[in-house]
Amino acid sequence: MTAVDPTTVLDTLQHADDAEIPSAPEATGPTTLGWIARGLAWAALGWVVLCYPGNVASPFEVPAFDANRMSEAVIFAIIGLSLNVLIGYAGQVSLGHQAFVGIGAFTSAFVVTDLTQEVVLGVLVAALVGALQAVLLGLVSLRLTGLAFALVTLVYGVMAQQSIFAIEAFTGGTAGKIAPRPTGFESDHRYYYFALIGLAGVLAVDWRLLRTKGGRALLALRENPRVAQTWGIDTKAYTLFAFGVAGLFAGLGGGLLAHRDLQVVANPFDFNLALVFVLMTTVGGLRNRLGVVLGSMFFAFLRNGYLVEKLRLEDGIGPIPGPLGALDMSPEFAPLVFGPILLLLVLTRLPGGFGQLVRPVQEWLAGRRLRWVPADEEVIVNDVRA
Amino acid sequence: MSAPEPTTVLQTSGVSIRFGGVQALDAVDLRADRWEIVGIIGPNGAGKTTLFNCITGFYEATSGVVRFKGEDVTDLPVHRRAALGMGRTFQNVGLVKGSTVGENLKSAQHLQTRYGALGALFGSTRASEVERETEARARDILDLFDLGHLWDTRVAGLPYGVQKRLEIAAVLATDPELLLLDEPGSGLGPEEADELGDFLLQIREQFLLTIVLIDHHVPLVTRISDYLYCLNFGQVLAEGQPEDVRSHPEVVRAYLGIDPDAEVA
Repeated sequence: MTAVDPTTVLDTLQHADDAEIPSAPEATGPTTLGWIARGLAWAALGWVVLCYPGNVASPFEVPAFDANRMSEAVIFAIIGLSLNVLIGYAGQVSLGHQAFVGIGAFTSAFVVTDLTQEVVLGVLVAALVGALQAVLLGLVSLRLTGLAFALVTLVYGVMAQQSIFAIEAFTGGTAGKIAPRPTGFESDHRYYYFALIGLAGVLAVDWRLLRTKGGRALLALRENPRVAQTWGIDTKAYTLFAFGVAGLFAGLGGGLLAHRDLQVVANPFDFNLALVFVLMTTVGGLRNRLGVVLGSMFFAFLRNGYLVEKLRLEDGIGPIPGPLGALDMSPEFAPLVFGPILLLLVLTRLPGGFGQLVRPVQEWLAGRRLRWVPADEEVIVNDVRA
Repeated sequence: MSAPEPTTVLQTSGVSIRFGGVQALDAVDLRADRWEIVGIIGPNGAGKTTLFNCITGFYEATSGVVRFKGEDVTDLPVHRRAALGMGRTFQNVGLVKGSTVGENLKSAQHLQTRYGALGALFGSTRASEVERETEARARDILDLFDLGHLWDTRVAGLPYGVQKRLEIAAVLATDPELLLLDEPGSGLGPEEADELGDFLLQIREQFLLTIVLIDHHVPLVTRISDYLYCLNFGQVLAEGQPEDVRSHPEVVRAYLGIDPDAEVA
């Protein structure tokens, strides 16, 4: 123990209570005009999510191709929330998440095509199988930590792509497996709503998670496993629990992806995809539900150069000048070019990611003042006595 | 303190632990009877916190037995010992500092929130009921400690003194029978240390606790302890009535003679 000046301690203690009272809620709420503006904003938001992609009550005509991309964005949000449970809540890493998703995709296609079951059932079975295989991988994490475990997840993902996805009876080999869409949701526009129901379910479960003992246990054990244990939390069991929930979400996402594509093949489930998953979750903002959803959607739109082309960046600014233009990069690489740049920004300058950026708007929509909210600093416990 | 039937709550017999070439604990025998306050003093590096880690299960003793309420808990993991009623605090404040005060108090009641974590995700009604009780109890405990107004405040932003108080509130929420306090008085001046002493005597009455206390404020420890141990180099140097241990020549020498830099409280 170091010598402490008693007067300063006394001072801190005396002011302890009054110093930390959080700023009192603003006495005056928004004006009538403020409420009308917020109401309009909410309505616009609802319209963008619920009407625009399906050409319902909309003056625009969204092409089927674009609706399909929007379904993908919604499904990526589910996958982002899955990784958020693992990385954000439990503090584990997965560089093999494309396998979690891929196994879900093939399972659902198998259940629907080979066992001739309903798509809804196929997707639910995919979620359960996803949970099961994630728990199995989680068992390894109890033995290995940090870099060693990250390596195992990476190898697991690549291994799954090369071996499990090559089992012909299960995946249809290189030809892939047919995955029809559910009745009533056959068109690209309608399927968007099917995916959206999945996302709503995942959001509800995630919301419950943080409001019940399981989520609290995860947050405690991630930050300080020793404290969690003294509170009676079985850190091993809850780590597996986190893998289970993450696998559930990822499997569901995989199933939805399979039926969106109408056919599943092993090729897309490669390590690049795993990287995009990790990037989109981190850039979105760990432990920030809205941020993760937005980050995931952003990266989904970046894929295959969709967003770059959509915004006509190439037409607008022409060929990129200077030495970069000589690289003649294809827009397909957009996620893996923008990704690392955004990742660096998030890791160094914007710890809350996209979630932090949209937080002022969130505050405003909730009826508070539009203001910048700094991200909470990460608490790092590195003292063995703590 | 005179209990109707003095039963031994905590007993370590010959607990030893070795880290590489260092004998951190050497056959330590310690006993705490029901509703007693047992103090542990000793210079820095004497093995006090190491002993706590053996008692609570963070370290596996090389040899020796730890008994809690008559049961051999030597091989039980930390969370199982917690479930039996062992609570502890940490030198650097054992709280989830990234979460709010309210969340901490709810997390600390993990053992009392009896519902399936998985079922709760899919909206079991039992979970919702228990959650309401958990929150009510969390608020009650915070009010008892005059911390109720901090419910939504993030722990990391609170002053050290408040965090210390909150940590004890959280560990009491785990419903412990035995409370192991690792330097609750660190960073306190003599006056606050005195208040802390009264506070500990009070929570012992209120929550019917057995307390084992490590601290460097020797006057504080001697005042409130029923029995006192002095550790040095991993061994029990002296034990007995607090005043006797305090004036024991070996203890005085350990504090003043051998290591002049060691703190004299």
